Amino acid sequence: MAAGTAARIYPFMPGGAADGTKLVSGAIMLSDLTDRPRFGLKGGGSADWLAAQGLTLPAVNRIGDHRGMRILRLGNEDILLLAEDAGETLAQVKAAWQAAPAPKGYSSWREEGWAWTRLSGPRLAEAMSALCALDLRPQKFGADDIAQTRVGHIEAVTFRSPKGFDILFDITASAYFARAVAAVAGHTA
Amino acid sequence: MKLLTCPMNGPRNIDEFQSFGPVRARPDPNATADRDWSRHLFRAENRKGVVVEWWRHVPSNYFFLAERDLVSNEIIRTFDASELRDRA
Repeated sequence: MAAGTAARIYPFMPGGAADGTKLVSGAIMLSDLTDRPRFGLKGGGSADWLAAQGLTLPAVNRIGDHRGMRILRLGNEDILLLAEDAGETLAQVKAAWQAAPAPKGYSSWREEGWAWTRLSGPRLAEAMSALCALDLRPQKFGADDIAQTRVGHIEAVTFRSPKGFDILFDITASAYFARAVAAVAGHTA
Repeated sequence: MKLLTCPMNGPRNIDEFQSFGPVRARPDPNATADRDWSRHLFRAENRKGVVVEWWRHVPSNYFFLAERDLVSNEIIRTFDASELRDRA
């Protein structure tokens, strides 16, 4: 874990705001990845600065890859780097960004503002169709597509991961979202 | 379900959007007569026809423009704001 993040308490951790809220498991499984490294840039100069670091940026609402990091292009100048298993690469980009002079965009604080969860399990497709109005079948929604929409009635960003669907949303809605998924799991199981 | 097509995200439930009202002229308060300025501030247009409006797709915080028929409430088309800027 990068320096400075060890003391953070995320919602589902002991002492966190959603402490005690159960994450469903079984045919539909919700896991919490909120403590995994990520970094978001937003505003004028973000895309140019990242491109100058050697990152190949995908089109808007598409996912790219840079040395194991997933690059999510949420807007022309709104980019999110997810480093589930590439914490070191992300730490390098972050350190370079902190040291760089402007223009370089500004930090969108995704590591503090957004929860990161993963929905998986054998009944995944049914659960997602109950939680989200979009057509997310594989022929319509590919591995590098991003949907910025509503999931479980709250604003969310969702996309495929090898194990299921990753869902990013306002961190303050963590307990609500876990309960919404649990309710759907109760109906579909 | 009523759908609105976001130029960036595609067709979505209209619940995902927020309306920001019609695109209006922005008169210079220093060069505008008091009467016209107060009209600009306090009076809304209420006519029939087609209006160009600001809309926001909330989950992606993307602002765009839509042409809407005020009588039939039909959304004629949606487009990126750069189109209006390029035309000006």
